[in-house]
Amino acid sequence: MRRSELAAASSFLLLGVLLWSAAAGFPPGVGGLPGPGFFPRGIGAVTGALAAAWLAKARRRPAAAPEAPVTGASQAKRVVLTVILLAAYLALWGRVSFPLLTFLFAALFLRCLDERWGTALPLALALTASIVAGFEYGLGVNLP
Amino acid sequence: MMSSEIGAGLAAVLAWDVLLFLLAGTLLGAVFGALPGLTATMGVALLTPLTFWVSTEKGLAMLIGIYCGAIPAGGIPAVLLNIPGTPASIAAAWDGYPLARSGRPGLALGVNALFAFLGQFVSIVFLALAAFPLASFGLRFGPAEYFALAVFGLSLMAGVSSGRLLEGLLAGCLGLALATVGLDPMTAHPRFTFGSAELLDGLAFVPAMIGLFGLGEVLARMMERSPGAAAAPAALSRIRPSWPQWRRMAAPGLLGSGIGTLVGAIPAAGGDLASVIAWEQARRLSRRPQEFGGGSLEGLAASASAANAAIGGAMTTMLTLGIPGDAPSAVLIGALLIHGVQPGPLLFRDHGALVYSILLLMLLAAVLILAIGLAGARPLARALRIPEPWLWAAVILLGIVGSYALNNSVADVWVMFGAGLLGLLCRKAGLPVGPLVLGLILGPMMESNLRRALILSRGDWLGILRRPLTAALLGAAAVSLAWPVWKAWRTRSYSAPSAKA
Repeated sequence: MRRSELAAASSFLLLGVLLWSAAAGFPPGVGGLPGPGFFPRGIGAVTGALAAAWLAKARRRPAAAPEAPVTGASQAKRVVLTVILLAAYLALWGRVSFPLLTFLFAALFLRCLDERWGTALPLALALTASIVAGFEYGLGVNLP
Repeated sequence: MMSSEIGAGLAAVLAWDVLLFLLAGTLLGAVFGALPGLTATMGVALLTPLTFWVSTEKGLAMLIGIYCGAIPAGGIPAVLLNIPGTPASIAAAWDGYPLARSGRPGLALGVNALFAFLGQFVSIVFLALAAFPLASFGLRFGPAEYFALAVFGLSLMAGVSSGRLLEGLLAGCLGLALATVGLDPMTAHPRFTFGSAELLDGLAFVPAMIGLFGLGEVLARMMERSPGAAAAPAALSRIRPSWPQWRRMAAPGLLGSGIGTLVGAIPAAGGDLASVIAWEQARRLSRRPQEFGGGSLEGLAASASAANAAIGGAMTTMLTLGIPGDAPSAVLIGALLIHGVQPGPLLFRDHGALVYSILLLMLLAAVLILAIGLAGARPLARALRIPEPWLWAAVILLGIVGSYALNNSVADVWVMFGAGLLGLLCRKAGLPVGPLVLGLILGPMMESNLRRALILSRGDWLGILRRPLTAALLGAAAVSLAWPVWKAWRTRSYSAPSAKA
């Protein structure tokens, strides 16, 4: 049984149990008819049952050879950096001027993908200018 | 009488200023469709006020141009970037994007444009010939039938998951679970909102879709990309399919057009559901089902034609019964009312010429967007020659601003971000993303209609099953789920004796 399969199936089993138990706390329906918890509870039950079936099916399968890592450390590091950059960008959204924030995000993102500063800075500027021109002036979107 | 109405309707449209409004509307529609986060509904809604100061024909020309231009253009980012431009182009990404990645972006864009035209053309002809019978079929749908339709749509996860039934169903359940976030549709009780006011309206679907398909895809590709590798140069030689390719795509294209027209005529069903159903049915009937989801021309033809045929279906219900078939046609009703035109059976009696004007405007818009799509395929396909990091930066920024532009809400951008991380996790765990999106789309429709049906039948589940259309749809769903299981079992039982031998 693959470790990733076990983790995914167990996560779904947990999701099913959590949905079921959280939905049980919703008020009941009037006159015996389904209330707000009826549908989430049903999904929780189905998710739990399907996850259990997946676990059982995966257990019956013969053990596979150890998996070779598909992702290198540098690629994983880049993804983590991008996620941190994006989270920081969204956290500062509305507090820093949109063109400046977007320019900084685009430049740092491109730099994190090994683009040289000489390429990253003009490209970030062009992308920011196109976004502002297209959305704010072209389509009338109120960018922060 | 009728011929004079046809003549008057055509004459009203064939004026240079009306045609100019149609061209402007179609071009704007293409922009709205091609930019992720901007939808056909948004385009029609935003530009309706602009039509207040012009005649009904000019206003309609612009709005119909936007509607008919946005849906085919939604397939462009779906093919090039794996980000559906509109919800109707979700299924176009499943085969269009792998086709583009395999070095045939021009062909993928060409097929999208050509079969979008076929879908629109077939549905317009259908609208002209069979408006009343088709619309009355849509009226036979009550809550029980809508619930059964949603179950049937969800059962298609089996096909969408290409051989991973359990994983596909679980991904669908995750989508259904996410769709329950927000106020309960019947009692307005908050569910899974964790005290957040932004979550009361539920998870915004379009930002979630942009995150799952756009940001998720970019992050997954960043995981795979070896340092310093450049994007593969894209072959741009062919846009139009060859004769053998045409022959392969004709049947799925026509099937998609038929399904799209029918599903589009059902109020609130829309092009997203139509394209998924058509894609799955084309896969079942295909001689090469294994190619679906990996760059099948038949799959792209079926989904593109169905998504666009839904326009004619939706317009049929709107014009003949005054009931919107989908969200853009709901906005169009408002625009027609502003111009003093009441859609419904009386429209054909009181404004007969206008009905023919609308038909001609739709036909001309379909021709215009075909020309725009074919002329733009080559320059657009060149986008794949841009180095991947540049493209990724553009995709992420477009996704962020597109999600924000929907409601001017930062919460929607966070939803896009969260959905992007979920998309990455799904890809890493081998879970298909398609069923998750299908669950998100169909969840609210399924829940509210099931509960309405149970209220109407006073809690009697068998009462729901006794309705013939409901029983037929639920039966089709059961067959749809059992089919891959039975096929796998049959393959195993055939291969076991031969292995022993």
